[in-house]
Amino acid sequence: MKLNTLIASTALLFGLACSSAQAHHSAVQYDFSKQSAVTGVVKEFSAKNPHLLITLEVTNDKGPHLVQFEGHSLNNMYRDGYRKGMVNIGDKVTVNTAPLKSGVEGGYVVSVVTAKNEFFGMRSTSAQDAAKAQAAAEGKK
Amino acid sequence: MKKMSVLKHLALGAGLCLAAAIASAATSPPDFTGVWTNGPPAPGAGAPRARGAPQPPLPMLPQAKARVDAYQSLVAESGASPGGSCLGTGMPGSMTGSGGYPMEIIQRPDQITIIYEAHGELRHVYFGDRNAKQEDRVPGRDGYSSGHWEGDTLVVETDNLADQVDQRYAHSENATIVERYHLNGIDDKGRRILTAEMTMTDPAFYSEPVKFTKNWAQVPNGRLLPYECAEEIWSERLSELAKKAGVKLP
Repeated sequence: MKLNTLIASTALLFGLACSSAQAHHSAVQYDFSKQSAVTGVVKEFSAKNPHLLITLEVTNDKGPHLVQFEGHSLNNMYRDGYRKGMVNIGDKVTVNTAPLKSGVEGGYVVSVVTAKNEFFGMRSTSAQDAAKAQAAAEGKK
Repeated sequence: MKKMSVLKHLALGAGLCLAAAIASAATSPPDFTGVWTNGPPAPGAGAPRARGAPQPPLPMLPQAKARVDAYQSLVAESGASPGGSCLGTGMPGSMTGSGGYPMEIIQRPDQITIIYEAHGELRHVYFGDRNAKQEDRVPGRDGYSSGHWEGDTLVVETDNLADQVDQRYAHSENATIVERYHLNGIDDKGRRILTAEMTMTDPAFYSEPVKFTKNWAQVPNGRLLPYECAEEIWSERLSELAKKAGVKLP
């Protein structure tokens, strides 16, 4: 049991150590026509430009593991309701993301529901709106 | 009698002043000072493009296209971009949208300053004698811009650009860009609309001039936000120095 805990902790730390290497890239690898909500515990959070970075400890059928997300810039999030102190290490939050096209866990955060049930970010993206409109139109056929 | 004469002179003087003021107002250029954000799509621009959707093709020459394709191949997997490395968009990308961020125009008779919020990118547009001699102009991603008024239209000519394959409207260092700005009424939200028409000429890259039109909408009492971007780069540099010195970060 202790060994398992040690392995899990080591994996988490390794994940965190590796996370910064993924920073600073554009959004081409995300599918903005889709939306995926992921809930987890905040292990790393940085609201900055050009992209917000957040690492969550997510528990699913793979067990507890770290998933890194990036998202809109601090400036965009600020305009959409984010204020300092809304997200803290240890908080349980839900991030609404455009998932990675590759299918790997992670995504581009477009909005966040905080531990206090506050919301910041965009309600949807233009690509999601277009996809919904298309789905609705196809449904009417 | 003398009193009447004085009054007549005063009235005449006031009339002349009023006429001069009206004439001045009629010849003064419009004031574009303020914060502007993305406006309604310009006519002919088509529906707004969804993020990540492919761009319509440009009349790019094969040799130029080969360079742009090589650049795209280099960054495709990682998604690396100038903005991702805290580098400004450069012209004409800054004026065509600046990543969706607002811009601020500060206007005075001999100079217009444009601040794009993203990366705090800065352009100076000089008028008349404020212009630097051609040999004193420093080349860069936003080039050197000089302006003049044609009636109510601001015309900005940009040269001394750096070669850039890393943006939507890639170009060589010999590209020249002409922008024409004019106020274009009020939108359905009551905002003033500033229409910007861009024509880029670059025979080394394109078979014909490239055109683009963008509408900006004024933000009443708008403010730009600070855009700090390089903190992580600096933090990583400090960490490297601390590691090399064998000390903890202060």
